Amino acid sequence: MVLLIGGAYQGKVDYACEKFNLSRKDMYTCSRDKVEMPDGAAIINNVEDLVWACLANGRDPLKYLSARKSRWAKSVMIVNEISCGLVPMDKDDRAFREAVGRTTTYLAQEAIAVTRVFAGIGKRLK
Amino acid sequence: MNVFISGGAKNGKSTYAQNLAVQMAKERKCPLYYIATMIPHDEEDRARIERHRWDRQGLGFKTIECGRDIDREIDGREGVFLIDSVTALLSNEMFRPNGKVDAEASIRIAERLSALTKTHDGLIFVSDYIYGDGVEYDELTDGYIRGLAIIDRALAKACDRVVELYYGFPIDYKEVPEK
Repeated sequence: MVLLIGGAYQGKVDYACEKFNLSRKDMYTCSRDKVEMPDGAAIINNVEDLVWACLANGRDPLKYLSARKSRWAKSVMIVNEISCGLVPMDKDDRAFREAVGRTTTYLAQEAIAVTRVFAGIGKRLK
Repeated sequence: MNVFISGGAKNGKSTYAQNLAVQMAKERKCPLYYIATMIPHDEEDRARIERHRWDRQGLGFKTIECGRDIDREIDGREGVFLIDSVTALLSNEMFRPNGKVDAEASIRIAERLSALTKTHDGLIFVSDYIYGDGVEYDELTDGYIRGLAIIDRALAKACDRVVELYYGFPIDYKEVPEK
């Protein structure tokens, strides 16, 4: 698995498509509405929304992901960087932000490569 | 060499950009311009501008105050230009004095500034990294953030150096070209 991290609108999906010769058709976009991880999507985008869905349904996102490792082991996973703001006022938002931080750290450990995308340009961290 | 600089608030972007601009102008023995894009709206803005002017004193900058259409100011001049900031420029061009919102502003700025990098050597752009707080904003604010990202990505592509300032440390995103 390759992990791409970056802020909003930095061009992470474009970078994934270009770098690994993939198309948006090969991409699964996570949703806040459902706890779902399809098998073998080439790109798994907005992983933070899956984290949200897990929390909303009382599931532990780390346990959920680690139990389904074979489904994303060969994917490019994309997580939005959301950790650089004020501590959210809302309790659920706070829990969400912390869970995304922990999940991203876990995925970064699992990944064979980690790249941060900044203004469309990738910088390899691992 | 054209340079794109961004990063979080108070991470040293302006200071780094100023030093770089001074050094470039000195090496080339060419004029040094500061394109001041902020249009002051209140006392806080005016104090901020005064502070920045004070910071630049003695560095040899010729300040050009220009909140919109900066390419017209730069075109036809030779020298090193520090454009601080792209963020204010987009704000001025997107949110017009008559209260209207110009939705095309970001694409227009991205195109014009990218075109400038083809004809000029010695442009230093300063922007702001406003993409990492995870907050869901209203449509207008989100449109502004998306617009700035369009400009940032275009400039990052067009410039020879892309630098993120992180608590004073410059992190390069492209291989630094030989001088």
